[in-house]
Amino acid sequence: MNSDVQQINRFFSKKRFRLTLIIVILGMAYVGASIGLGFQTHSLLNVQDGIAWLIQNFIPNEASKGYWNEILQQLFRTFLVAVAATTCAAIVSLFLAIVGAKTLTPAITVSWVIRAFSSLLRNIPIVAWAMILLFSFKQNDLTGFLALFFMTLGFLTRAFMETIEDFGTEKVQALQATGATYLQVIAQGLLPEIAVALMSWILYMIENNVRDATLVGLLTGTGIGFIFNLYFKSLRYGAAGLVVLSVIILVVSVELISNLIGRLLS
Amino acid sequence: MLTVNHLTKSYDGEKMSLTDVSFSVRPGEVTVIIGPSGAGKTTILRSINQLIRDDDGEILFDDTDMRQLNRRQLRQARCRIGMIFQNYNLIEPLTAIENVLHGCLGTKSNLAGIFSMYRNREKEEALQLLQKVGLGEFAYQQCRNLSGGQKQRVGIARALMQRPKIILCDEPIASLDPKSTVTVMDILRDLAVNDGISVLINLHQVDIARKYADHVIGINNGQVVFDNRAKLLSDVAIANIYQKNVNTEGSLVHEF
Ligand SMILES: Nc1ncnc2c1ncn2[C@@H]1O[C@H](COP(=O)(O)OP(=O)(O)O)[C@@H](O)[C@H]1O
Ligand SMILES: [Mg+2]
Repeated sequence: MNSDVQQINRFFSKKRFRLTLIIVILGMAYVGASIGLGFQTHSLLNVQDGIAWLIQNFIPNEASKGYWNEILQQLFRTFLVAVAATTCAAIVSLFLAIVGAKTLTPAITVSWVIRAFSSLLRNIPIVAWAMILLFSFKQNDLTGFLALFFMTLGFLTRAFMETIEDFGTEKVQALQATGATYLQVIAQGLLPEIAVALMSWILYMIENNVRDATLVGLLTGTGIGFIFNLYFKSLRYGAAGLVVLSVIILVVSVELISNLIGRLLS
Repeated sequence: MLTVNHLTKSYDGEKMSLTDVSFSVRPGEVTVIIGPSGAGKTTILRSINQLIRDDDGEILFDDTDMRQLNRRQLRQARCRIGMIFQNYNLIEPLTAIENVLHGCLGTKSNLAGIFSMYRNREKEEALQLLQKVGLGEFAYQQCRNLSGGQKQRVGIARALMQRPKIILCDEPIASLDPKSTVTVMDILRDLAVNDGISVLINLHQVDIARKYADHVIGINNGQVVFDNRAKLLSDVAIANIYQKNVNTEGSLVHEF
């Protein structure tokens, strides 16, 4: 009995010690990073001045309303690039995931190669993708499209592959037992079972890519990211504020629509 | 009809899952394989239609060895071997009738199967089969909304769509309530008696085996320890089939 209590106490003091240690390490990391960056903690106190400046300058005024037309046009282009990149990547991913899933792969080495490939694509940040592609494709929509495409390809291949592996081998075998071919098993068994899961991954990726596309546009000089940069650098803050507002509206409505579709599907 | 000779299988090359298993199944009879869990019942059943590649032996289905067939020939042979499972293995988001129609994929061209281009004759047959298992009114229900017993009956209709000579059943009632158990077993019995289909069932419930089987094969530790008419299945024989034995990992196996 007594030794039980001791054991519990030892457990808790060990846990408390570990927690303290973590807090101390985090604190030291913060101090170290602040010194390294020359970042002044007390300037955080002035943050309200910055926000006040933002509010004063970025609130769209009468003059900036004239930019609506151009903004909407660029917003639409950005949206299209995001949707096109996602759907194209989804189609290629589905193929790669079927061939790469451990339960359906023709050879385990193929599965490893596809896994490594998708992990490579996925782990290169979107900004790095955009900059790499800038060298070969210069500043145009194709560069943004490809950057989103490659990143999405890596992500969706992995996600689809896991979805397919969850489907298991038993149902595959049940259809094989009827004498069905490989492609018949995939079309009649696998795809109907995973369709809803695939759709929700694709919708999630579209949401994500709409957000990323604005960022990529900054670098590739296209779409909504480009005109934000343009207005901002030419001190047209009201118009730039309008761009930010339009992006927020787009992202929120894409998310709402995607939730709606998701609910209809399930 | 179906004869298995000297079947041998080891999954890891060390521990034998099947050792020299031989038995035969007569047309129009219910043959039940009983034995403790881990005895090798599933391995035997899946070797018959070669979902599992065994190591050695002979599986004669209508006098051709299933083990010697190439891919195309194997597909054709599988068409005449129905199979149902403990977990039903239906495609849940599809309707009952779509699942039943999967039973004729083996006889269709690749493209026709992929794009669900079924003939009217096939659709009518699928509907009749659903009526036969008492699910006519559930034809357009998604399978995910059916009860366990109903799912298993859809599974049987899918197997029947293959116009099988034999139906392999791997623990078909292990997940069912007593009432559904009776329904499903009665249907299987009826297929043997009235349609002349051979029915080979893995079971672990001895009472059900006694009630429904014509012939019983007892498996223990990958070996046939009983192979005789059901009425000769004595308590001594059952004790022998289910005897405790120490497996290679050293743990006791004595489950029912
Ligand atoms: N996929 C597998 N990999 C390795 N060993 C397996 C596999 N499937 C079955 N076994 C082994 O083969 C033996 C027989 O299993 P199984 O045929 O499933 O028995 P039963 O169906 O009678 O319960 C067991 O010892 C089991 O551990
Ligand atoms: Mg089993």
